[in-house]
Amino acid sequence: MTHASADPQPVAGTLRPEAAEEVAQIRASIVEVLDEQADLRRTHELMVGAQGHDPRLHELLTAELGLLGLVVPEHLGGLGLDVSAATAVIEELGARLVPGALATSLAAVLAARALGPSAEPLLARVVDEQLTLASALAEDGAGWDLERTATRATGTGDEWALTGTKTLVAGVEAARVVLVTARDAGGGLGVYAVDPTDAGVDVRTHMTLDQTRRLSTVHLREAAATRVDAPGGEGPRVLLDHVRAMLALESAAAARACLDRTVEYLKVREQFGRPIGSFQALKHRCADLAVAVAGARATADHLVTTLRTGSATRSHDAALAKLVCTDTLMAVAAEAIQLHGGIGFTFEHDAHLFFKRGKSAQLLAGSPATVRAEVAALAGL
Amino acid sequence: MSDEQFRAEIRGWLHEALSGPFAGAVGTGGEGREHEAHELRREWERHLGRAGWIGLGWPSEYGGRPATLAQQVIYHEEYARAAAPGRLGHMSEQLLGPTLLAFGTPEQKARFLPGITSGEDIWCQGYSEPDAGSDLAGVRTRAERRGDSYVITGQKVWTSLAHLADWCFVLCRTDPGSTRHAGLSYLLVPMHQPGITVRPITQLTGTSEFNEVFFDGAVAAVEHRVGAEGEGWKVAMGTLGFERGVSTLGQQIGFRRRLDAVIARAHENGAWQEPALRDRLVEAYIGLEVMRHSAVRLLASAGAGLSGLEASISKLQWATWNRSLGELAVDVEGAGALLTGPGYELDDAQTHFLFSRANTIYGGSNEIQRNIIAERLLGLPR
Repeated sequence: MTHASADPQPVAGTLRPEAAEEVAQIRASIVEVLDEQADLRRTHELMVGAQGHDPRLHELLTAELGLLGLVVPEHLGGLGLDVSAATAVIEELGARLVPGALATSLAAVLAARALGPSAEPLLARVVDEQLTLASALAEDGAGWDLERTATRATGTGDEWALTGTKTLVAGVEAARVVLVTARDAGGGLGVYAVDPTDAGVDVRTHMTLDQTRRLSTVHLREAAATRVDAPGGEGPRVLLDHVRAMLALESAAAARACLDRTVEYLKVREQFGRPIGSFQALKHRCADLAVAVAGARATADHLVTTLRTGSATRSHDAALAKLVCTDTLMAVAAEAIQLHGGIGFTFEHDAHLFFKRGKSAQLLAGSPATVRAEVAALAGL
Repeated sequence: MSDEQFRAEIRGWLHEALSGPFAGAVGTGGEGREHEAHELRREWERHLGRAGWIGLGWPSEYGGRPATLAQQVIYHEEYARAAAPGRLGHMSEQLLGPTLLAFGTPEQKARFLPGITSGEDIWCQGYSEPDAGSDLAGVRTRAERRGDSYVITGQKVWTSLAHLADWCFVLCRTDPGSTRHAGLSYLLVPMHQPGITVRPITQLTGTSEFNEVFFDGAVAAVEHRVGAEGEGWKVAMGTLGFERGVSTLGQQIGFRRRLDAVIARAHENGAWQEPALRDRLVEAYIGLEVMRHSAVRLLASAGAGLSGLEASISKLQWATWNRSLGELAVDVEGAGALLTGPGYELDDAQTHFLFSRANTIYGGSNEIQRNIIAERLLGLPR
């Protein structure tokens, strides 16, 4: 028996120390910018404004800080950082409910990165032209069920034309390229890139229940498109998984932020001559929420490891994390309103922002019931 | 030795042992099955000890075996995967051993640890009392100093394995005028002596794995006091903190096996087609996945084990989860689950359903864990 070292072994998928350092730096710098320019007060102003987001901030984060190119490989002009650099940014945006197109764009970049060589030209353009991306998957009647995609793609090679209607598209109002799932004449599903300003594209942006995330309907009539994924691959699935990953990461972070704010309030709000946080009924509910938030965090972290290592469990882990993290945000936000009492019911308070974001995260990219059924199928239950 | 080699070694050893002389012990002694196969399981402890599988990561001088944290996790995983018998030595190895390593004198370590690593000595834990359950500081059992002995009078309750144990680590009040946490001492008491009476408590499962233990002039040697007189609270709390994380992944393999069995049964009898039941089964699967990722995340950051706070989070999670699965196991079975064997003999689903009600009570009830989490993690006021 050889003498084994007493050091714990690194867990599979752990970041190299220097990569972890880079990611930590990215996170720190984005936190600094967002704390200054994108706190919840600002979100309140933006969400009732005409545009629904802050184009200046978007410009700063993309063109000036180059966040879109974080995880684009170096040979394509990007920084070539680890996947978790982008996921860290998504988390920080989520924690503050920052309205806009950066998170959706980063999710699309991560998806493109996972699509392999066929998506390299697009990734190179993302860096060269500072392209903001959006993903359009859902259709009326089909929701996010890829199998029921009805949008048609006609053409060959580099020249395609798309016809169909995509619904509930997030971030498209600021995007320069939309990734669209469509079906070719042979019935094969693929991912195509469309310019939303193309003559064949009509974008209608709606007011939304979750005011921090505007959604659009995208009508495509013979819209010019290029193919982004390799035929016969699982491009649409990759795209869906990354949209779910974004919702999961945002929600895990938002749930944590919402719980922290609620707990702080319970420590200072006094009734019956004592802080209400000393009442056991409230403490126990907060403890349950804390356990749920820790579980969501662990599930989200696991998903990041899966995305980083290119593990075959991607679809399962993305579905699982989407389900757990959005349910957790919903639970925390609902309790936040209750635990704040009357003030939590006011428009001025932040609780309803988390609550509405929780519901949109839960219902986008597959309802809980749909995703639960998918998890069961993917887990072979 | 690589992790793969280590895994192959423990797996091979377990397979050989459990397909040979200990085949009859496979699957015995788990939760709610503590009453099973005592003699065979006692021998199993010795067999484990002789092969060097007790005290992984402990110093070799006490019969331990060097092992990394990853290897300890592998050991627990393989142990669970093989459905090896429930450990009579659980409290000896997981609770007392680490306590002695942390607080014991060199003489105490030399005297007691080899008996644990050899699988010879079985220990039980004398903490809870009729008036000191969740509030452990209410301990009233007295230990009076007489020369080089303590004479112990009082009662403990919910003492697992007391009827089988050779020794008990007992929290006693050595300072008669003291209250709460002060004035307590941590004594190692031999169970086989006239001053000790063990009375089994029959549980709602109809079986017994807990006992009342009455001390009526029982004797413990002063040299077998761990820590200073009056500092027993610190030592006892140390023990509670040794709820190490390494066993949680192994425990989860057992959970996974139970869940798979319930899901298989649901497919078999058509319950899977019932949307409400299927939803609960998938939720159970998801809950277990969350616990798995949580455990991996903790172990990656924890190094040596879980802090008390992390143990509280994980305890609240698994106890609640397992209790729900117990109920689900019976619901999947349907009304057929209402029939028991002769003499109230219970099958797996019935045992799980009934015994899992204890999960959220013993070792600090859910309510206690929630208080700990609210106060220590969230900083909410007392």
